[in-house]
Amino acid sequence: MARQKPTTTTPLSSSAPAPNRTLILDNGAHTLKAGFSTPTTTDREPNAATDSHTIPNTIARSHRDKRTYIGPELADCADFGELAFRRPVERGYIVNWESEKAVWERSLFGFEGRGEGAVLACEPQETSLVLTEAPNAPAVLQRNADEMVFEEFGFGGLFRTTAPALCAYAPSPFPSTASSSPSGLPLECLLVIDAGHSHTTITPLYHGRPLHTACRRLEVGGKTITNQLKELISQRTFDVRREDWLVGEIKEDVCYVSQSFNQDLEKVWRGGRYDQRSSTNDGSSNNDIVVDYVLPDYETIKRGYPRPHDAGVNVRNRALGIGTGAGGRREHILTIGNERFVAPEILFTPSDIGMQSEGLCGTVLQALNTLPSAALREAFLANVVVVGGASLMPGLVGRLEAELRSTVDEAVLVRVARAGDPVKYAWLGGARMARNEEVMREVVVTRGEYFEQGDLWVRRKFAGKVGR
Amino acid sequence: MATGALRFRTPHIDELPTTQSRQAPGFAWVAVAGGAQEDPSKNWGTTNRKRARVSLGGQTDQQREAVSAKQQREIERKLRDLNSDNAKDVVIDLPKKHGVGVGGVKAGKTTNTKKILASGKNFAHYLDDEEAEIARTGRRDGEAEAPPPPQRASKTPLARRKTREDSSISGSPAPSTMQTGPPLLPRGAQALPHLRANENDIENEDYDDTPTLPSDAEIEYLLSLPPLTYTQARAAPPPATGPAPRRFCETCGYWGRVKCSKCGTMTCSVACKDVHDLDKCMKMYT
Repeated sequence: MARQKPTTTTPLSSSAPAPNRTLILDNGAHTLKAGFSTPTTTDREPNAATDSHTIPNTIARSHRDKRTYIGPELADCADFGELAFRRPVERGYIVNWESEKAVWERSLFGFEGRGEGAVLACEPQETSLVLTEAPNAPAVLQRNADEMVFEEFGFGGLFRTTAPALCAYAPSPFPSTASSSPSGLPLECLLVIDAGHSHTTITPLYHGRPLHTACRRLEVGGKTITNQLKELISQRTFDVRREDWLVGEIKEDVCYVSQSFNQDLEKVWRGGRYDQRSSTNDGSSNNDIVVDYVLPDYETIKRGYPRPHDAGVNVRNRALGIGTGAGGRREHILTIGNERFVAPEILFTPSDIGMQSEGLCGTVLQALNTLPSAALREAFLANVVVVGGASLMPGLVGRLEAELRSTVDEAVLVRVARAGDPVKYAWLGGARMARNEEVMREVVVTRGEYFEQGDLWVRRKFAGKVGR
Repeated sequence: MATGALRFRTPHIDELPTTQSRQAPGFAWVAVAGGAQEDPSKNWGTTNRKRARVSLGGQTDQQREAVSAKQQREIERKLRDLNSDNAKDVVIDLPKKHGVGVGGVKAGKTTNTKKILASGKNFAHYLDDEEAEIARTGRRDGEAEAPPPPQRASKTPLARRKTREDSSISGSPAPSTMQTGPPLLPRGAQALPHLRANENDIENEDYDDTPTLPSDAEIEYLLSLPPLTYTQARAAPPPATGPAPRRFCETCGYWGRVKCSKCGTMTCSVACKDVHDLDKCMKMYT
């Protein structure tokens, strides 16, 4: 790490070697996606699956075994029950640098205490960092990030950008245009919907540059959906308010976005007192919505799993002695019905929980209506890419497309696609961009430049205001 | 059956002399207008809030507003909880480093980084700082020049002022520089027919609906606008003419059809309402 005194003022641009490797770090609120990319020395394209690592960006404390897991150490954890999380990224921006530094040290650099070394061994002096942040960041947080990267960690160069902007360099998810985008060149018109952990942002990109007046943010993200699911389950069946990890797994296993909310809600209703609907065992149509989720107990069952609902299971289990803890097989079951699709519905109708905001489709239209030209709007509507972890929910893309389709004019072409790997898409874009040396030379700020010109100049350069 | 909570408010009874008195029950119910509400000696008040609201001259606007403000605060508290990153004030101390790293001062290498690492601010603080900065200096950090001041102290009488939108508060979060931009932009809409006219000179196709992309200069202008601030970029609320927010049953999640008279939450049916009354009611009421 850097051994220089903090008061150095000598310009380093003449003496320090130009960084030859680039570390692409997609710093998300839920996970970090990190990997190296070198310009055109290897012929093959960067492959998201093998070149990048996904590291949980959190510090977790378990009261059961009294251990604190930082970042990648979470993979060693055996018992996820009642795990308390603290995230250094709040609302999409790195706020708590102390925790973030701890996570970065263990995942990016060699950390002395850890025998097997870090996930990636990075020498910051020789590496340029491509760091992502959420759009519309407060300037103070941007300055903090720049200072930490250069002064504390000592990276050789930095390019700080918004995550959607990197997506423009990734291969196009639409089959008709996929073949024609070479590495290192951005797509022409792209509307990126980043459904992330903290929030969902909508960013129209023109040749990789965002049209700022049309960027919008919807304050519903994966975290909101998980918390809403926690509330619903706790009110109806079983108190899971302290089980972040478990409810996150339940959400990933079981939740989906329904294409016709009213009909699905009808299917799952038990009926009022005077008009009882048929209950679930006689093969009626709500059988496929209500599921039984088997909870993990971290001794025999390591990971929960859903299975189709069986109304008599509790009675049978009691008869067989299962679940009573009397030495046999133990199985705790959570019955999940309409929470499966009601919780993700808040992405499309945030007013359901009282949030004064339009849903995803409405926000997309709000964003596009600020653009002056109808042609631009149509161009963006024809190239909508959904990225981010929350977009992995089944049915989200279909529902978004249906809603957009029904709201805009019939003659307009609407194409909505989900990126191939939504979690690593921005990383992939960054990796492809980093292979193009010219682009990198234009946008990366080296350490020498940072110390010479100061943080305000650097911030303006990243915002695209200087020397484009 | 006058238990503690219920008291009958007997209206004031006068026995009217009639010409024919029969052996009839010795009282008659007579409705007297006003009654106990106006006579303080007989108005014991009621602990039933609903009756008090309705009968004692109705609620004033102030009281109605207080009730809805309380509900609003409750909703906002729930939303903050939903969007909170850390469950219930989790405090996790970072373990000390195993051995001191080479040259590594634990708290950061330069004064700037020491300050950053030691600061306990969370996002709300940074946001407030940013808002204060903008309010104070009128511009965002990092912009080349200040945007033209949105409004001078105008001497135009109110009747003749045109309404301007205030950028960070109103529902349409466009920055104020949009309105004072170069004339290219507002003329974009009218520029299109003249662009289209050129297209039609070449081919005699249909005139109507093939809009063309705006010119490069316009797009460059759009790209060069400064990024929005955090609050400006937030999605705006739906228009007031849209459908009302949907209410769901608290117990089972179906549509809410019946509103609980005490706490206002909705349930879908009598069965769910019973469950609500047993366990969940009166939560907001304490």
